[in-house]
Amino acid sequence: MSDVTDSVAEIRDLRVEIDGRAIVDGVRLRVLPGKVTALVGASGSGKTTTGLALLGEYPPGARVTGEVRRTAHGTVGSDGPVGYVPQHPAAVLNPARRVSALLDDIARPQVRHLPRAQRRTTARALVLRALSDAQLPDAEALLRRYPHQLSGGQQQRVVLAQALLLGARVIVADEPTTGQDALTKSRVVEQLKAVAARGIAIVLLSHDLDVVRALADEVLVMRAGRVVESGPVERLWTAPRHEWTRRLLDEQRAVPQGGADVGSGRPVLEVRDLTAVHDRRTAVLHAPRLALHAGECLAVVGRSGSGKTTLARCLAGLHRDHDGEILLDGAPLPRSLRRRGRAQLAAVQYVFQDARAAFDEHRPVLHQVARTAVRLRGAEERAATDEASATLHRLGLPEALAHRRPGELSGGELQRAALARALLAHPRVLICDEVTSGLDTVTRRGILDVLAGLVGEAEDLSLVLITHDLDTARLAHRIAVLDTGELVEQGPAQRVLTEPRHPFTVSLMETTERLEAGTRT
Amino acid sequence: MTTRRRFALGLGVIVVPLVLALLGPLLTGEPGPRATSFTLGGGHWLGTDFVGRDVWQQVLLGGRTVVVTALAATALAYLVAVPVALMSALTRVRWLEELLMRPLDVLLAVPSLLLILLVASVLAPGAVGLALLVALVNVPDAARIVRAAAGEAAARPAVEALRMQGESRWRIAVGYVGRSALRTLAADAGIRLTGVLYLVSTAAFLGVGVAPDAADWAVMVDRNRTGLFVQPWAVVVPALLIVALTTGTNLLFDAALEKNQTDKRGRRP
Amino acid sequence: MSGLRSFVARRLLLGALQTVAVVLLVFALTEALPGDAAVALAGDQPDPARIAAIREAMDLDRPAYERLAGWATGLLHGDLGTSLTSGRPVAHYIADGFGPTLLLATLTLALLVPIGFGLGVLAARHEGRLVDRLVSSVTLAVYAVPEFALGVLLVTVLAIKLAWLPPTALGYGTDLLAHPAALVLPVLVLLSRPVCSLSRLVRAGMVDALASPYAAHARRYGVPGARVRYTHALPNALAPAVQQLARTVDWLLCGVIVVEALFVIPGLGTVLLNAVAERDVPVVQGLAVVFGVLTVVLNLGADLVAHRLTPRAGVAA
Repeated sequence: MSDVTDSVAEIRDLRVEIDGRAIVDGVRLRVLPGKVTALVGASGSGKTTTGLALLGEYPPGARVTGEVRRTAHGTVGSDGPVGYVPQHPAAVLNPARRVSALLDDIARPQVRHLPRAQRRTTARALVLRALSDAQLPDAEALLRRYPHQLSGGQQQRVVLAQALLLGARVIVADEPTTGQDALTKSRVVEQLKAVAARGIAIVLLSHDLDVVRALADEVLVMRAGRVVESGPVERLWTAPRHEWTRRLLDEQRAVPQGGADVGSGRPVLEVRDLTAVHDRRTAVLHAPRLALHAGECLAVVGRSGSGKTTLARCLAGLHRDHDGEILLDGAPLPRSLRRRGRAQLAAVQYVFQDARAAFDEHRPVLHQVARTAVRLRGAEERAATDEASATLHRLGLPEALAHRRPGELSGGELQRAALARALLAHPRVLICDEVTSGLDTVTRRGILDVLAGLVGEAEDLSLVLITHDLDTARLAHRIAVLDTGELVEQGPAQRVLTEPRHPFTVSLMETTERLEAGTRT
Repeated sequence: MTTRRRFALGLGVIVVPLVLALLGPLLTGEPGPRATSFTLGGGHWLGTDFVGRDVWQQVLLGGRTVVVTALAATALAYLVAVPVALMSALTRVRWLEELLMRPLDVLLAVPSLLLILLVASVLAPGAVGLALLVALVNVPDAARIVRAAAGEAAARPAVEALRMQGESRWRIAVGYVGRSALRTLAADAGIRLTGVLYLVSTAAFLGVGVAPDAADWAVMVDRNRTGLFVQPWAVVVPALLIVALTTGTNLLFDAALEKNQTDKRGRRP
Repeated sequence: MSGLRSFVARRLLLGALQTVAVVLLVFALTEALPGDAAVALAGDQPDPARIAAIREAMDLDRPAYERLAGWATGLLHGDLGTSLTSGRPVAHYIADGFGPTLLLATLTLALLVPIGFGLGVLAARHEGRLVDRLVSSVTLAVYAVPEFALGVLLVTVLAIKLAWLPPTALGYGTDLLAHPAALVLPVLVLLSRPVCSLSRLVRAGMVDALASPYAAHARRYGVPGARVRYTHALPNALAPAVQQLARTVDWLLCGVIVVEALFVIPGLGTVLLNAVAERDVPVVQGLAVVFGVLTVVLNLGADLVAHRLTPRAGVAA
């Protein structure tokens, strides 16, 4: 049993049941110091429940069997502290307390044995060291701030600093990179790598396989509460044994490539000298010229805050504060949605990032989808419902689900419904704003397949994909790159992806590639 | 205490004053001859009041004004507040929003009873006037609460999606935003009705909106106070009825609201 | 922190606007008098001399805007006008009634904060257990009860049946401190609604905060329970409670008027009610302005404190 003492935490035959349904079943897991153990799987596969079990926390009302053992500084018996970095770090930082107080709370018990006079300074020293270990510079200024005054990355590092300050030997990181762009992702990866290098074990819960590949030593693939396969990351990637692992990896890799160059002649949609402002003053976007041809798929790529969503909203008529012109078939489109006629509304449709928030939670999905045909094309109620039903079916949403309310559908299902709702307008241009972010790999793949199908299928439908994810951008014929509100580069997808010209595009490409290749130190 | 039991408790507390208030006037016979003030017995079950009327008969007659005035005032307040709130939540014209909401903010600063007394000093309003006044002092707060709920719904992408579908303003305002604010409105209605009952009865106690010898529980409490030592029933019974009415309303709405919330939580998959 | 400064500036502006609005509203009400204001105010005794006196006292011959200007400049100099019935300056009325009302308000506020917070924290600590259910049910029930109804019932039981306390403050004049027994019932009645509302708010805020992910995180990292309760949860429950404290001003004002009438205390509320009964408009106006401005100022202060306590989001100004 010598290797048992090596591990800092161990789970044996864990089974967690809620209302008689097992959400985690027969999970075994050994966490080694200085190593990164990744739990991967789609949402609902039980990876978060397993991760929280290491913290000794279970969902309310759960029946738990099995054993969870944590070791304090190599001694068996007493439970050592386990750190936790949740998906949304802001939620665990008390909004009414300064960063200094949040860290001081944890340092305080550690200095209790000292004489009173020394406690303050010692605690302070501990806090400062934890901050520097978490790579947070300018500690003095930071300590005085409230959590809401920090950036998302800083919040994440403060939570990490708390775990380090606690002396955690194991840190559970729950989806630390979800919804982040490539540059931020790679910074998080570096960060966690540095932590592991200090001999701390990291349990990574993620559906982002690029990050898993770049970070993990051991990988456990979970499906429906069970571990279907586990092993070193290299072996798993090169020779996956289980069918499900293979599917998961395939879906990550095989992104369909956009077809040959299309689009010549007159563009369907054209942007001229567009300058968009927020709050009537701050210019957030400048796009001198951008064209979209019939049947073409254009990806607009950029980090969060680069102005790409604003561009999409200008096109759709949802953001009115802008100069310049947007032309549909050569005729200018009114800036405001209210001024656009039915035909113009139908021609340019928009699919929102958060599908759940974009549906009325009180009415059945089918009914809401059908309304597009009724309002924008003057279809009969009956015919519209039939068409909605057919479209939903085509996009992979079964009839039975379509009759439900949005609350009873999953995120991926709702996004399909949202696409169907826009398609029922028979649009010339379909704008998709980050429609796959926040979805797990399998679901995301499904939506991307639908989009790829749309590009090939209808000849006169043009797509605008707003994304921070170069994988998604590969679907497109052409790519436009935005950085801090400027259109820095545009061209055929193949060219931009293989020989980017602008320095920003180059750095974006490099970080993505590094993550994909799983560069290891 | 379980929600069901609290609901039952609220119902039990409110049923007596409510039945008396609504059916009481139907149960009274012809008013008998006036007897001596503040006597007990002598054929009067609860004794007589400050002008020698039968207290039980006054109790039967005295609840209707409070209940009806309060219900009318609450309904009236929402009749003004809801359209204003929906309009200001949905308009994209900044000055219109300010124009709708700012005056209400200002009105919010005036203490409600003060405003009522101020008007009473110059106009001597009747029951209808009192209902209007109470409704008026409730409009700013009601509008603010509905506005907040509607504003949250109006800021959701769902509204933009509906606009993208070419839905009319009316359908968006009523069919979606209004409907989303309905839950908040229901929660607020209970609190508001309790507050309105408080104001209506307190105003009546202070002599606003009622005749000095009116058959009204609050007026009875005020006018019969002088005989508290000799004939406490003329004060205690109407006071208890008012306590039961307001407490019961509050308990009932609180339990209903909680039930609603647990239902909602239980349904999410 | 330009955000804070702009919030303060906006809130001060709103406060100033509210003050102006109160003054205008109070003035406008006299204009709302039907027909000849002087005749209407003379009421039951339409004696020509009295009508003339009223017309004279209120300057009814001058146009409305001149009267408004005159009245407003008077207000700025502390001149609140003169009574129609006695001819005494309104300021004297206020000075007379000020003492007892201030005493009541101070006592109530001094007790309100510790009792309200104490009950709220107590209930939150024992969430779901007997103490919590008891506190929650009683506060919920009493919260809705009008002061006059609660007051007469307490008087009936404590003063008349049990004879523990004097039923009214009649005969004690303005020197109430010398008769503390007479103050018990008024303060108790005055406290009833604000205590309930405050403690319910504190309880709800604490329960929410204790169930939040950040409280769970603090406990997970070994921060002691008492520390989580008082340094993590309580501050987050504080901001809504302070806001409520300001709204309580409205209730306290209603309460003071009712309680003074009920217990025959010669404070500002009694002065106001008498003036209303006698249709002594200048006195009513003067008091309304004082009460209104006081409310505006207290609300302003509470909003600023609440804003300080929630640095995250601006409280809607």
